[in-house]
Amino acid sequence: MVEDILSIKAIAEEEIKGANDLKAIQSLRVKYLGKKGVLTDKIKSLGSVPKEIRPEYGKTLNETKNHIESILNQKESFFKASELESGLKANRIDVTVPGNFIPAGHKHPISRVLDEIVDVFSSLGFVIEEGPEIELDYYNFEALNIPRDHPARDMQDTFYITDDVVLRTHTSPVQVRVMQKNKPPLRVIAPGKVYRCDADVTHTPMFHQIEGFMVDEHISMGDLKGALELFLHAIFGEDTGVRFRPSFFPFTEPSAEVDIACVMCGGTGCRLCKGSGWIEILGCGMINPKVFEMVGYDPEKYTGFAFGMGIERITMLKYGIDDLRLFFENDKRFLEQF
Amino acid sequence: MKASINWLKEFVDFSAKPIEIANALTMAGLEVEGVEEVDGDTILEVNITPNRADCLSIIGVAREIAASLSLPFKKSKIPVIKEEFGAPEIEIKAPELCRRYASRIIRGVKIAPSPEWLSKRLEAHAIRSINNVVDATNYVLLEMGQPLHAFDLNNLTGHGIVVDKAGSIDKFFTLDNEERALETDTLMIWDKEKPVAVAGVMGGLNTEVTLSTSDILLESAYFNPPSVRRASKALNLSTESSYRFERGVDINAVVTALERAVDLILQTAGGKAGKLTDIHPKPLALRQISVGLSKINKIIGVSLKDSEVQDILTRLGFDNKKTGDTFVVIPPSFREDIQQDIDIIEEIARLYGYDKIPVTFPKVRLTPVKVNTHRNLIKITKDFLRRSGYSEVINYSFLNPSVFDKLRLSPDDKRRNTIKIKNPLRKEENSVRTTLIPALLGNIGLNINHGEKSLRFFELSKVFLPSKEKLPEEPLHLGAVCLKDSRMPSSIWEGKHECFYDLKGALENLMAELKVKDYSFVDTDSCEPYLHPGKSCTIKVNNEVIGSLGVLHPAAAEALELTGDIALFELNLSSLFLHILPKITYKSLPKYPYVERDISIVVSKDINAADIENAIARIDSNLIEGITLFDIYTGSPIPKDKKSLAFSIRFRAEDRTLTDAEVDVLHSKMVSLLESSFKAELRS
Ligand SMILES: [Zn+2]
Repeated sequence: MVEDILSIKAIAEEEIKGANDLKAIQSLRVKYLGKKGVLTDKIKSLGSVPKEIRPEYGKTLNETKNHIESILNQKESFFKASELESGLKANRIDVTVPGNFIPAGHKHPISRVLDEIVDVFSSLGFVIEEGPEIELDYYNFEALNIPRDHPARDMQDTFYITDDVVLRTHTSPVQVRVMQKNKPPLRVIAPGKVYRCDADVTHTPMFHQIEGFMVDEHISMGDLKGALELFLHAIFGEDTGVRFRPSFFPFTEPSAEVDIACVMCGGTGCRLCKGSGWIEILGCGMINPKVFEMVGYDPEKYTGFAFGMGIERITMLKYGIDDLRLFFENDKRFLEQF
Repeated sequence: MKASINWLKEFVDFSAKPIEIANALTMAGLEVEGVEEVDGDTILEVNITPNRADCLSIIGVAREIAASLSLPFKKSKIPVIKEEFGAPEIEIKAPELCRRYASRIIRGVKIAPSPEWLSKRLEAHAIRSINNVVDATNYVLLEMGQPLHAFDLNNLTGHGIVVDKAGSIDKFFTLDNEERALETDTLMIWDKEKPVAVAGVMGGLNTEVTLSTSDILLESAYFNPPSVRRASKALNLSTESSYRFERGVDINAVVTALERAVDLILQTAGGKAGKLTDIHPKPLALRQISVGLSKINKIIGVSLKDSEVQDILTRLGFDNKKTGDTFVVIPPSFREDIQQDIDIIEEIARLYGYDKIPVTFPKVRLTPVKVNTHRNLIKITKDFLRRSGYSEVINYSFLNPSVFDKLRLSPDDKRRNTIKIKNPLRKEENSVRTTLIPALLGNIGLNINHGEKSLRFFELSKVFLPSKEKLPEEPLHLGAVCLKDSRMPSSIWEGKHECFYDLKGALENLMAELKVKDYSFVDTDSCEPYLHPGKSCTIKVNNEVIGSLGVLHPAAAEALELTGDIALFELNLSSLFLHILPKITYKSLPKYPYVERDISIVVSKDINAADIENAIARIDSNLIEGITLFDIYTGSPIPKDKKSLAFSIRFRAEDRTLTDAEVDVLHSKMVSLLESSFKAELRS
């Protein structure tokens, strides 16, 4: 009797193994476990099994039923899952088509570098100030110790609106305007457009500058060197060589020109640096006491440094741009590279 | 300035190679921009800053080499001139413009080409050799920095000199055979009758030294620098002479230079010299400047000792004495640029070597930093436009006013009233811009020529408007332009809508990010003459018009030679920034659910969707939470002059769940309103 059950089990196992779709599994479930299924019949007729073998017979029958049910379930969920998968596979999209987004516009390289420089100084606690682009001769020249009829005016070819009003030739007038309105300590940068009556391969009549200055009671030239080295290393890399050499600006004294080791040859000399190994990058100095007097600061109490740099030049060096005019032509093929 | 190594060696003994000398000069502040070998000599190209008039000569550069390398400077001996007849008669009538005038007459010179050594040296320093007399004056100019002038004595009426302003004489022929207009204040050299030179700038043709000259009068003077500069600017004539006078020559070397030149002329052209006239009414008193050692060290950031400072001052030829902490310094007469203690501190720093100053970091006092909100708003504006696909352009501030006609601006349009530049680089571009539009359209034109079909640009820049103040107003403007080829979209996702909506979307997105309160796009006919009257609107914020947006007018497009679907806007960003919500205030979240109903209507094409939305909103502003236009359709089966609009309306009450019955009431109110006010037909 027990043997009968075991042979049913063996046959059922074999049949389930051979089933290869959900339908076959469902009909096997009816065949063995349905209302009139083989195993259901056996359970119904359990009462007619002789008493002495009934416990063992009953146990085997129950185990077999559970076993068959479990492997049927297993197989059934396998077929269900694979049916779903193959259904999904048929419903496909072309994943290689580009995603739906608005291609972002580009930041002008001048803005890119200007923002980078502003960020470095902002992180050092410098605040940003602005001044007018059309400026009084007084702020652009006189207050910066550049009197009329002084040869220092030749350093900057000026666009005049009237005899007293000019297109500012540098961002330095912001120094005077800010100092007139505020008391030290001061840490300020002033970015903006400036104008010179000059156009050739290395000059455009409009360009961008950043002016920076710091005023307090104990600022020294050593501090000027420290602050600018910090800045130049942030922009051009930690290992960039930096050189300070004496120069002249009417509004700073002592004045310095700052060179960095040539970005192209690293200092051995090439066409870019005209063989010198150095590239002029900015002008700076200790604020001239005459400027302090103009704004009513006590030059015996306060000292400070100021610096100014051309953004186009730095941008050209950073990106290897070889034609200044590209900045203002606004050729899409140029702008797209930034 | 050019400087020959061989010539320099006549004044300072050095064994260093030219390249080492170049480096030493550069690091002392005389930047050497070129080193060129010429004919057994080396010529340095030295950039002399405007403050260093004393270095515009061989001896000046030699002094710098001596000072920076700690070598002795060999002073040249003043030649003793054998005087064989009398002195010239000189009168200075404008002493404030001519502080010193020295002169000798040389008779019996033989004008001829210079000896080779002289002409070669001049030519190596970019000065053309003329004849032995003129070359001698130029030689001394190069060597000592003192410009000299030789007059043909026999053409000087009265054989004397008067120094006076031009006065009523308004025309004068200079040596270069040009007739020059004079200003009344221009300082002139006269003989007893007529002007014979523009003082310090150029001699006159009437007294030029020529091959037939036998007697000369030689001039060595000190002219007031600003006066020479004004004359040079007025005549638009810059010479080796004016360049040096306007920067200031060494007033104490005026006679030395004269003697050097006389001696040289006697050697090369022969002749006999007469006695010296030297008019020098107020000899220069040398300045005495005090500077404390502690101040020197504080400003440079070093700890120099007395002896180090003294050594530097002595190398520079500055007399100095120390009392207490203070040095009393007397700079030599050729250092007119040394006026105050800071100038001496700079000299010390310069010769000590900037590279030796230790790097330190400024110690800062914490102070409250004011946030630059303006700059933050600019950053948001730029970032948002970029995210909407617009690239930033930067254009020149200059403007050619003829573009206003192409933009069809009316004759009285405010933007035509531009600020003019007196000396523009290009005559046509004589203004600074009052609008960003011309440049932006120019950018489109350039790129169309390169074959581009899809362009999105913006520019953020100041424009310049005349004001009652001395300085103009400089409002910040924002302009943008969009060009689209709807047949060839730049991406498969890009819709076929007009580029007007592309541009408007970018602007609305920006307004939302900036949290601009109360802005609107108002449909007015022809808000700008350069915009399409049917496809343009004004941009209003809080009822103030701040700009306009629209499609480029076909007539303007034609005038500017542009084709394609181009939309553009310009607005006053400074004004916009005034209407930004000062802060964000939180509103509690709704407690009850919303009910949503769609409504689809057919109306005349002339009716604006915004008017319908506003009308719906007014039905019950408490219960209608939002209205979204989600479809616009024209074409079959909608009649030609009509369009279909579909809105989704969201209803919600603050204090209860709305019942269907309540919403039904609102909905039917809405339908009858749309029917009566807009002659709308409901679409099923
Ligand atoms: Zn290089």
